[in-house]
Amino acid sequence: MIVRIWGTRGSYPVARANVLRYGGNTTCVEVRAGERCIVLDAGTGMRLLGAALEAEAQPPEALDLLITHTHWDHIIGFPFFAPLARKNCAIDVYGLRRTQSSLRTTIANALSDPLLPMDLEDLRARLHFHEIHEGLSFNLGDVKVCAARANHPYRALAYRLETPEGVLAFIPDTGPFHTVLFGEERIVWNGSPQPNSEAELQTLAEMRAGIIKLAQGADWMFYDAQFTDEQYARFPHWGHSTASQAREIAEEAGVRELLLFHHDPHRSDDELDRIVADQQALAPPGLLIRAAYEGLELRRGS
Amino acid sequence: MRIAFWGVRGYVPTPGADYLRYGGNTCCIALHGTNGELLALDSGTGFCQFGDHLMRGDFGQGRGQLTLLISHTYWDHILGLPFPGVVHVPGNQLRIYGPDSTRGSLEMVYDGILSPVYSPVYGLAHIGATHNFVPITTEPVQVGSLTIRAMPLSQRLNSPIWAYRIEEGERALVYITDVRYSNDIIWRKAVGFAKHANLLIHSAPYTRQEHVQDYGHSRVEDAIELALESKVERLYLFHHAPTRTDAQLDQLLVHYGAELNAHGHTLILDAAREGVQVEV
Repeated sequence: MIVRIWGTRGSYPVARANVLRYGGNTTCVEVRAGERCIVLDAGTGMRLLGAALEAEAQPPEALDLLITHTHWDHIIGFPFFAPLARKNCAIDVYGLRRTQSSLRTTIANALSDPLLPMDLEDLRARLHFHEIHEGLSFNLGDVKVCAARANHPYRALAYRLETPEGVLAFIPDTGPFHTVLFGEERIVWNGSPQPNSEAELQTLAEMRAGIIKLAQGADWMFYDAQFTDEQYARFPHWGHSTASQAREIAEEAGVRELLLFHHDPHRSDDELDRIVADQQALAPPGLLIRAAYEGLELRRGS
Repeated sequence: MRIAFWGVRGYVPTPGADYLRYGGNTCCIALHGTNGELLALDSGTGFCQFGDHLMRGDFGQGRGQLTLLISHTYWDHILGLPFPGVVHVPGNQLRIYGPDSTRGSLEMVYDGILSPVYSPVYGLAHIGATHNFVPITTEPVQVGSLTIRAMPLSQRLNSPIWAYRIEEGERALVYITDVRYSNDIIWRKAVGFAKHANLLIHSAPYTRQEHVQDYGHSRVEDAIELALESKVERLYLFHHAPTRTDAQLDQLLVHYGAELNAHGHTLILDAAREGVQVEV
């Protein structure tokens, strides 16, 4: 099992000198397991992945794309993915089922006129859309995929990818599970939290348990660590966590390595270095903490 | 008046060491009038950096006023708008000019990109700053001592693409992006619109030698020919291709600069670079 990181940034891509080491492209991670090529999210990192795939001696003819949710930073790389223009390429796209709009329509509308001049029907690659829901498990070749609900505005998914060689948990966007419960409705934030009802507290607890289960014993857990404590206090309604909240989940789930992910657009490389050092100092023995960076490759097995 | 380049890349942002000098953020140019007027051309991801900069001044206190001129509503020209604090601080005032498309008004397009499937903002109604969308026409608009003229230059599918000319006294800046000179009528219109401008900013992602399918963009050579025919003083190539490295842009400038010199042209050729400010 090989995991390659193509994009680590959250909210929007940033091109700046002080983010060169961790990278400014938005979220995209490639997973290779045997013949299978699975892509997690379609941020701007996906453009670089596409170019790398097309440069392979035999570019993969089948790809799976697992989308956590369709906020811009998670789909903005999709139209610039070179394999879309290849006839012998089939892409299976997985994402959350919604009553308001199909996954296909959401993607099609984003990249068609007047936002972009593309039409899904005109692409040479064959696209198949699969609408899934939290709690679902399915197999992609030898890879077992599980989906869980993350605590993020308008709902988002998190994924676990399990092979005989290794386990990856991918939780790029989630708030913590103690203050705000995100669902379909917009959260109005007036500076102080609305008290949660018993039912809401119950749902939050279940969601947290679902995320812990998803990450249980993972070799690598990619986890939303966009906010500092100060940012979280001001913007809890955006649905992101802090590095220490990520560490707590990692400890409880018995994760081997925590990869802080979905870096804030303002976060410099040096600030990330300090955040990692702070969290590593607090981590129990056996838990390794790093911040995900563009170009990082992780391996288990042959 | 003075301009500042905040985003010069076309299509998609390109973070990375190879793109650092010219910059990898998408289209956004700030324009500062002599009397403190503030305009911005397009709101790609460069607008996020520009917005952060503005937050250190009046905009951080909810006392900022910005006029935004949108050429068209493709991603690399609008997606930066919802992110920076400037649009979320109550009291700030945004006036946004741009084209309606046959698929919907400019306001509907912006509302659409903020809908909950795409954005945690949940729609324009939740943008804290006061915002007014105004369909652009060919009638001049006055902002302080700045006169804004606009011209629809070409059309892609249902999306018209507008060019802008901003004048202060005798000085004129012209912004033309994403245009395709598919016939002579469009060319004549563009030449007339850019006539005697002190500064022309023109999209030029590729050269004629490069065979790329890019939905029909003008080439570097088109931009240069337009600048020459319009008797423009200074041309900034803009909307750089995502694969264009800093080194390639350097080479391109040397090559075309030498060609201009050899023919005795006085046109000053440059490439738009993030962070650079130019007095018009």
